[in-house]
Amino acid sequence: MSLSPETPRPAEPEIDTAHPQEFVEQLRCLADSLPSRINIDAQSVEQGLAKLVLTLIEFIRRLLEKQAVRRMEGGDLSPEQIEELGLALMRLEAKLQELKTQFGLADEDLNLDLGPIGRLI
Amino acid sequence: MKQYVYCLTERMNDLPSWRGVAGSSVYALEVDKFSVFASDFFGEHVRIDRENVLAHAAVIQQVLNHTTPLPFKFGTLVTEQQLDNYVSATREALQSKLALVRGCVEMNVKIISSREPARATASGNEHETPGTAFLFEKRREIRGEEERAAEAIEIAAWLEAQLGDIVWETQINPNRLDTLLVAVAHLVRREAVEEYRARLKEARHERPELHFLISGPWAPYSFANIDLEFKTHFGVS
Repeated sequence: MSLSPETPRPAEPEIDTAHPQEFVEQLRCLADSLPSRINIDAQSVEQGLAKLVLTLIEFIRRLLEKQAVRRMEGGDLSPEQIEELGLALMRLEAKLQELKTQFGLADEDLNLDLGPIGRLI
Repeated sequence: MKQYVYCLTERMNDLPSWRGVAGSSVYALEVDKFSVFASDFFGEHVRIDRENVLAHAAVIQQVLNHTTPLPFKFGTLVTEQQLDNYVSATREALQSKLALVRGCVEMNVKIISSREPARATASGNEHETPGTAFLFEKRREIRGEEERAAEAIEIAAWLEAQLGDIVWETQINPNRLDTLLVAVAHLVRREAVEEYRARLKEARHERPELHFLISGPWAPYSFANIDLEFKTHFGVS
């Protein structure tokens, strides 16, 4: 029947766990975050572009947060500077949240698969 | 009309008859040195519903019974021209991916830790100003994430030590947020699947604090990375 170069054994998948309920809950959370359709149209092009741009902003935002925390822990910021930095990052987070809502994107959407390197965030 | 594509393999000359998404017949398109499994799709949208997802997975699983395919992402619609362009532009990468997965299948291990995560201490002063409180909260989050990532890597390394040389490639996906600590995908030779299961069964007794879900064999979803994603998003070939 098949003239494939391989002559493999049939691969019958099995699922094995002693804790099915816990994993079902986790997988249900994942399923709930999926979009209801996938399509190539003007709207998805716009959303795809927004996703890419917002992912990069989110990546930079997280770097800024880590850098701010590192500086705070290093003791080289005055209490006023910590407050100012915290407020700026808080506003940035709120703004990004607003943009995500506008483009119908969830937190899990903001990531990029970089192949063998893994995921960006 | 477009083609709904399922997966790509080395050339296959003869096929049984399968039904795919929306009940359409699945056929193999010969593109360059490859076979691309596809079916006709007349609508504009691919609905993500149980029936379509299962049909997509079933086709890939059927192909996996004959050879190891590189699966396309669910919902990938292309024209023949787009497919030709894609294959000719990525021919060498596809051949190299097929060589990597040849004779192998993917096995997945998902792990939930029943241990309560260590909580980083909150800031000492509950009456901090908003900006300062925000940064202290971020510090707590970052530390928590780093602890989880370190634990995930330790568990993946332990797993690898248990499985030894039967694993050809590993993909580790630490989870920063939920109780699911880590998902690990292993590329395993088909003839080693039974041994893989047996070794894991033995190993999980060593870590009673961890809850395991072992599944497979699957097509090498985690190792294929056929990147039609940008093309799907941006509608270009």
